Amino acid sequence: MSGSCDHAIEYVYHYLDEELTWARQSRIRWHLRRCDACCGAFDFEAKLKAVIRDRGRDAPPPELFERLRALIREEAARDDGR
Amino acid sequence: MADKANFERDAMQYAPQLYSAALRMTRNPADAEDVVQETFLKAYRAYHTFEAGTNLKAWLYRILTNTYINRYRKQQRRPSEVELGELQDMYLYRRLGEVSGASVSAEEQVLDRFVDSDIKDALESLPEHFRMPVLLADVDGFSYKEIASILDIPIGTVMSRLHRGRKALQQKLWRLAEERGLAGPTT
Repeated sequence: MSGSCDHAIEYVYHYLDEELTWARQSRIRWHLRRCDACCGAFDFEAKLKAVIRDRGRDAPPPELFERLRALIREEAARDDGR
Repeated sequence: MADKANFERDAMQYAPQLYSAALRMTRNPADAEDVVQETFLKAYRAYHTFEAGTNLKAWLYRILTNTYINRYRKQQRRPSEVELGELQDMYLYRRLGEVSGASVSAEEQVLDRFVDSDIKDALESLPEHFRMPVLLADVDGFSYKEIASILDIPIGTVMSRLHRGRKALQQKLWRLAEERGLAGPTT
């Protein structure tokens, strides 16, 4: 564990969220090229983030779209009637 | 200013994401659909105030989260500050590292064994204060700035809740991995 490792780990989520300044982003990228331990940790966190994104969703019931359209049209008709 | 006549064309594409987010918030399909319907109605009525060309998805999510919070505020639970405060960063990775030893890929293999319902249950188990930022960042891909605007909280609060929420989520997943015996050394 070096100071660069501490720095990289401190900003792991900011890095993966693409919320770092360019300078900090490149400093960490440079460190990751040379540090297998941090690289492993970053890969894991990136994969976890992707797993949450891909497996955390549900598809809506197909009728939802029709219900929403009907709702909007009803409201639009009410507007026109005013 | 946006034209109300274009609302359906512009907004309908976001209905699936809004529904999924509403389901993670309410944890119930009927309530999720109610929240989405109310969101669309409010958004349609206010569409003339939406500045065309700005972030429509974030604008709709702001209405969605406000609708949800107004309806379900009574059920809101306060986050358990003390319990979460003690968790290490990269909680899941570190726990997995302790059991799997030197094998780097073993940790990632554990992630492959989580099914959709594991992830959804873990997300839904988070206290609301943490669940919202985690959903918006990790499932819906919003930036910190967008989340701050959607939840109407300072960006520093977004970052701290997101950080703590992710740790809490990782703790849930770790417990699940342990229960299922997913975390042992691979043979």
